[in-house]
Amino acid sequence: MLSRAEVSARLSRFPKFDDTYLSLPYAPHMPGHMVRQTKEVIAIARKFNEEVARPRALELDRKTHEDPGYMPWELAELANKWGFYTMWIPKMFGGKGYNMPSMSYFSEEVGSVCLGIMNVIGVHYLGVSGVIASANLTLSRRIMNDVVQGEKTGKPCLIALATTEPGAGTDVEETDLVDKGKVTCHARKVKGGYIVNGTKVFISMGHVSTWTVLYAYSDLKRPSETSVGLMVKTGTKGFSFGTHENKMGQRVCPASVLVFEDCFVPDDQVLFDEARVRKFTKKPFREISQRYIDYVVSATRAGVGAFGVGAARGAFEAALNYASTTEVGGRLLINNEWVQCQLAEMYKNVALGRLAYVEANYANSHRGLYRLLQLKPFYYYLLFMPQAYFDNVVAPFLEKESSQKLMGRLYYEWAREPDQHCCSGWGSLAKVAGTDIGIKNCQMALELMGQTGLRQDAGVEKLLRDAKLVQIYEGTNQLNRLNLFKCLIAPAVPQARVFEE
Amino acid sequence: MLTSFKSDLKPFDELARSFAAKELTKKVEEHDRYPFGEFFTTVVDKMFDVGFLGVVLPEELGGIGGSISALCVILENICRADSSAGGIIFTNALSQEIMRAAKAEALARKVFPKASSASEFLVAFPSYIDPAHAGALPDAMKTGRGYTLTGSLELLVLGGLASRAVIPARIRDGSTYSFFLVDLAEEGIVKSDPVFTLGLHACPAVDVTMKGVKARLIGEPDKGGLYFKEVSSKMHVAAAAMNAGIMKGSLGEALAYSKERFQGGREIINWSEVSMLLAGMAIKADVADMCVAQACLAMEQGENHWGSHCIAAALHIHELACEAVTDGVQVLGGNGYMKDYGQEKRYRDARQVQALLGAAPLKKIDLVRGLAGLAAAGSPG
Repeated sequence: MLSRAEVSARLSRFPKFDDTYLSLPYAPHMPGHMVRQTKEVIAIARKFNEEVARPRALELDRKTHEDPGYMPWELAELANKWGFYTMWIPKMFGGKGYNMPSMSYFSEEVGSVCLGIMNVIGVHYLGVSGVIASANLTLSRRIMNDVVQGEKTGKPCLIALATTEPGAGTDVEETDLVDKGKVTCHARKVKGGYIVNGTKVFISMGHVSTWTVLYAYSDLKRPSETSVGLMVKTGTKGFSFGTHENKMGQRVCPASVLVFEDCFVPDDQVLFDEARVRKFTKKPFREISQRYIDYVVSATRAGVGAFGVGAARGAFEAALNYASTTEVGGRLLINNEWVQCQLAEMYKNVALGRLAYVEANYANSHRGLYRLLQLKPFYYYLLFMPQAYFDNVVAPFLEKESSQKLMGRLYYEWAREPDQHCCSGWGSLAKVAGTDIGIKNCQMALELMGQTGLRQDAGVEKLLRDAKLVQIYEGTNQLNRLNLFKCLIAPAVPQARVFEE
Repeated sequence: MLTSFKSDLKPFDELARSFAAKELTKKVEEHDRYPFGEFFTTVVDKMFDVGFLGVVLPEELGGIGGSISALCVILENICRADSSAGGIIFTNALSQEIMRAAKAEALARKVFPKASSASEFLVAFPSYIDPAHAGALPDAMKTGRGYTLTGSLELLVLGGLASRAVIPARIRDGSTYSFFLVDLAEEGIVKSDPVFTLGLHACPAVDVTMKGVKARLIGEPDKGGLYFKEVSSKMHVAAAAMNAGIMKGSLGEALAYSKERFQGGREIINWSEVSMLLAGMAIKADVADMCVAQACLAMEQGENHWGSHCIAAALHIHELACEAVTDGVQVLGGNGYMKDYGQEKRYRDARQVQALLGAAPLKKIDLVRGLAGLAAAGSPG
């Protein structure tokens, strides 16, 4: 009925088919094994909930109120023992190489019991993404090897990521804003490395991590053009911890203050800076910095969306259980129409939030950070080759300068802006959708459960406290709405300007 | 706004405002640590001294004989600073109002005028239920001239602090119930540690189990539902005033922060999306203020259906409050989530206040059944 050209012309109009329907074109390209693997991941998460998370969640929350100095060393050791800190690290870096999208489902499962425990596991992958997205294969392999060794020895080696500063939260997430922000974390280039001074705040799991991905600036007057990514090991001279914050929820996962005072970081721990980036691209460094941020947040915001869906599901399950076991006026609550409609609404919220993060995963899998790993031939190659092959054959190849350049070019020089916008926009969409319904369902459950919902030992009030944080971290939902507009709407409106109000 | 309509309330307004500034504002976080920190006994003693624990109690019974409007003005000011203190005032007023509705003056005379301390003056109440909707209430058995109570009750507010409690219990099977005055030092009462709840940490509740505990009937047997209904309409406005105060506190803190915090090179109030959040909060706080004032006027003037007006106003205000305090945290970003600021406490407290007098959805069902002239959902038939 229409020629290919006509179809193409119409589908490239706003809203573009490519940016709107992600699962439709990409699902058929998904390696079939991913389904089986994802099922396994969900089953593992449920087992972990039964054996670890559910028996501990409320008790630990209470403990953190009794002892505000509580640190989740035991939880981190348990998660390490369960293999969670290497589970989603690609095999070429020594990890178990589970497909990255499966982590969203895992997050929903564990998050439905306790978002704090989930973040004790999950925020490590914010750090992992921050390392791998740099395309610095040598350093990635070195850090990931520490994580793998940590699992073998039973001493967890976690990675934190530090961007937020006391005077700059939203600003550090966008190169368009950071030059106007009050950033203070300075990295001065010296012979053999950088010397860092400054403070980072709200750094999840900072105290418990072995490595920190530190985002600093070599010129505080031009931060968007001078960002520096450094790997700093806990215990390094000049790197210390301040207090950790007294939060409303997610209390088992500390939010740390990191202090850097003349902290020397050697060149071989520089993840990226302009000099390094120049080896594989001539594009403006500011543009590369934003792309790096987008690679990381496109993945992690989809994950935070799954956290929100987890809270929404936990609230739904608590309300369902309450309604199924509580009588009012001689009738079980669940046999009232209004209750059935409330539960249906909550179930619907969970389903829609899940669809949002699934779509964001498709974007990342085919147009973003995971696109290499999800290519069918590469996926099965990674799956079936033994780990020894990667350790002995692939590893030396990755160390080569040419491999580093190729990876840099692939992810930065040859990357397309429309792909970046699609992934980043969908990451924000999933984050806002999932986290807003998290609050919505918790509120509905609380109202339905009356005074029972108020009790900490009933669980829902904790979910409500925990859920509020996911509307804030990984960029406030306001920033994420603006980013969604910037990435998915503004390209169709040439006169639109974002962050220039 | 109430004070604009009724100038005689201004002294209550000023008293509560200055009390909050002097005794509450600077130590909100410290007081909120309970039950993991110290209880603010001194503050409660001072509330007793200034009469906040007996606002609606007649003067001859040891109160200050104020109206529900006066109670609302006080609660709004107190809750703007610390709603836990408001929860204590509310619960004690609720117990007193039940006794008044039951015309149990003789009993009240034995309790309140003789009290020489806050703990003697406080009367605990299960403030988060409408007893008509409670699945199980303690059983009351007639024994000689009095009754004994057996059974358990969750979240008896002030149960760990007060000398006495007003307890709903059933004399016979069925949905009717009666209120009883119980001396909490009586043998047979087992109280839990303070229950750790979402909000109002310094207005603690305990779970109680009773076995053959001596109790005195308040009013007539099986009339508990009637007394509660009479009191509930009025006390809903008081609960609404609490959340109106919480909203104002949240708005005040968000506005102050947004004028100081810089993002993108300017104060965040100058970013229009933040302005929209603040505007939403301001509108909700204003509407709440007006609703409380109008509900009080309708009540005092005895307008037709004033009771349902009051409950409708409260249900609406609670919903507004839960939304506004969520945005109140959001404006402050990560800081709003930390206990160093007041917003996270308001986020919790607003929901706890919403649950006063029973679950919101059941109230809605009862409201519409009342309008249609039908029996309440928990009633017989």
